[in-house]
Amino acid sequence: MVIGQVIADGISIAGILIIVALGLGIIFGVMKVINMAHGDLIMIGAYTTYVFSTVMKLPFFAGMIAAFVVTALVGALIEMLVIRKLYGRILETLLATYGVSLLLQQIVRMIFGPGGKSVKNPLESSLSIGSVVLPHFRLFIILFAVFLLLLVAFVIYKTKFGIQFRTVSQNREMSECLGINTSLIDTYTFAFGAGLAGIAGAALAPLKTVSPTMGLDYLVDAFMVVVLGGVGSLTGTAIGSGVIGEANQLLTLVTTETLGKILVFILVIIVIRFKPEGLFKMERR
Amino acid sequence: MLKKMNLEKQLGILILAFLALFPLFASGFRVELMGKFVVFIIFAIALDLVWGYTGLLSLGHAVFFGLGGYMLALSYILQKGVPMFMTRFGINEIPQFMTPLLSTPVAFLLGLILPSLLAAVIGYFIFKSKVSGVYFAIISLALAGLFQLLINDLQAYTGGFNGLNGLPRFPIFGKPLSVNTYYYLLVVMALLIYLFARWLTRSHFGKVVKSIRENENRIRFFSYNPANYKIFIFTISGFLSGLAGMLYVPINGFISPLDVGIGMSTLLVVWLAIGGRGTLMGAVVGVLIINWLSNLLSERYPDAWQLFIGTVIVLVVLFLPNGIYGSLEARLNQKTLSKRASVSQLERGMQRGEDFGNKRSYR
Repeated sequence: MVIGQVIADGISIAGILIIVALGLGIIFGVMKVINMAHGDLIMIGAYTTYVFSTVMKLPFFAGMIAAFVVTALVGALIEMLVIRKLYGRILETLLATYGVSLLLQQIVRMIFGPGGKSVKNPLESSLSIGSVVLPHFRLFIILFAVFLLLLVAFVIYKTKFGIQFRTVSQNREMSECLGINTSLIDTYTFAFGAGLAGIAGAALAPLKTVSPTMGLDYLVDAFMVVVLGGVGSLTGTAIGSGVIGEANQLLTLVTTETLGKILVFILVIIVIRFKPEGLFKMERR
Repeated sequence: MLKKMNLEKQLGILILAFLALFPLFASGFRVELMGKFVVFIIFAIALDLVWGYTGLLSLGHAVFFGLGGYMLALSYILQKGVPMFMTRFGINEIPQFMTPLLSTPVAFLLGLILPSLLAAVIGYFIFKSKVSGVYFAIISLALAGLFQLLINDLQAYTGGFNGLNGLPRFPIFGKPLSVNTYYYLLVVMALLIYLFARWLTRSHFGKVVKSIRENENRIRFFSYNPANYKIFIFTISGFLSGLAGMLYVPINGFISPLDVGIGMSTLLVVWLAIGGRGTLMGAVVGVLIINWLSNLLSERYPDAWQLFIGTVIVLVVLFLPNGIYGSLEARLNQKTLSKRASVSQLERGMQRGEDFGNKRSYR
C-alpha cells in the first residue's frame, strides 16, 4: 500500500507543478520571454497571502485573490518598464529578469526581514482511503490545478482577450495591421502569467516556509515541466507536470530524493534528445 | 580595425600594469581579494568562449568550476587525515575510491579531466540533438541546481552544506607560497589563458565557431558539422573552468556548494553581460568592475548590494546591449567604419565620376 501513498503524493506534487508552470509556460511560450523572476513572483504571491491571512487575519481565499491581483500588477509593471524594450531578444530577457529577480528579493527582504514566515493551513483535516492518506489541502491543490487549467483554456480559447492573445503570438506584425494593440496585449499577457505565479505562491504558502528566496526551487522545476511538455502547450504542461511529479515520488521511493531528481533530469534530457520541442508541440500555422 | 586593436591593447596593458603593481600599495587582504577576481577573469573567459563566441548561453558553468575546485580541496583535506565530516558518518578510513586524491598531482589532473569529460558528455547529448539556445540555457540551469543538491546530499564525502573549510593556503609544491607569489602566479595564468583564448578565437576554428553563432544553418550548408565544433569548444571551456576552480581554492581558503550552483553560474553570466560578451576584454572589464563595486558596497551597505547589482543588470541590458566594453568598442568601430565608408564612397564616386558626369551632361 506504500505505492498507493506514493502515487497519491506524486499527483499532489504534479498539481503544484501545474500551478507553478502555467504562468511560466504562457510567458515563455507565447511571448518568448524567459522569465527568471517567475520564482520571485511566486514568492510575492506567498507573502501577499501571508499578509492577508496571517497579519490581517482575513480568510485564506481572500489572500489567494489578493495574491493574484498584487502579482499581476507587479507583472504589468515589469513588462512596461523592462520587458517591453526587449522583445525578440530572448537571452536578454533572461538577463534582465534575473536583475529584476534580485531586486524583488531584496525589496521583500527589506520589508519583511530575511527570516521565514508561515501561513496557517486553511484545511487541516485529511481524507483516508484504505491506508492512503490525502490531506484535504493537497486534495484542494489538485482540484485547484485542474480548475486553473480549465480556466486558462477558457480564457485562451473563448474570450476576446484570448483570441487577440493567440493572434499576437502567431503573427505580431499581421495583428498590428489588423488593429490589435499588441503592446497592450503583451502587458495583459505578462500580467496574467504573473498573476498565475502569484496564485501558485498562495497555494504553496501553507505547505512551505515563506522566505525571500523560496522561488528558486520552483523556477527550475517549472522550466523542466515546460521543456518536457513542450512550450506553449497546455496539454504539455499538464502531462509534463504529471510525469515529473510522479517520477520524482516513485524514484524517491527506491533511491534518495536528490538521486531521484537527477534521474528525472536525465529522463528530461533523453526526451529532449529525441523530441527537441518537448512532448507536445504547439500548433503553428 | 586599427583603432579596435588599439583599444584592446591599450586597455589590456593598463589593466595588466594595474594588476602587477597592485600588491605594492594594497594590504594582504586586498591582494587576496584581487587574486579572487583574477581567478574569476579566467572563469569568465571560459564562459565567453561558449557564450560570447559560439552563442551558447550556459547557466550552469559553475558546475565545472566547482568540480575542479572540489577535487583539489578534497585532496588537501584528505592529506590531513580522515576529516571530521566523514567520521561523523562512521567512516573512519579514507574510502577506497578517494585514495587517488591523496596525491596532489593526481587530484590536479582529475580536476582538469573530470570537468572536461562532463562538458564533453553533456555537450554530446545536447548538441547532437538540435536543442536550441534557450533550451540549452534551461537545461544547464537545472544541471547547476542538481549539482548543488548533490554536493549537499553527499555530506559524508563532500562536507555537505558546510563546504570544505580550513584549506592550507597556497601549497603548490609542498611548501606554502606567500600571498603575493601566489597572486602573481594567478596573474600570469590569467594572461596566458587570455592570450590562448585570443589566439583560439582568431584562428580558423574560432571563425567557424563565430559563424555558428551568426547562422548555424548556413555553416551547415558549407558542409561543416556545427555539433562537433560546439562539443569541442564546450569541452575546452569546461577544462578552463575546472582550472579556474582549482586556482580559486587556495586563495579563497574554502569551497562550498554555493560555489558550484545556480547563484555562482548566473553571477558569471552577469559579469560577462555587463562587461561585454564576445570580446575577451569585456570579460576582464566586467569581472573587475562588478566585483570591485559590489565589494565596496557590500562592505559599507550590506543590504544595498543586491539592489545595486539588480539595477545595474537591468540598466546595462536595456541601454548597453553590448556591455560596457562592447559598447565602447562598437562606438570606436563605428567611427572608424563611417570614416572608412565615407572614404570608400569617395573612391567609388571618383571611379564613377565620369558616369555621373555623363548623366549630368545628358540632362
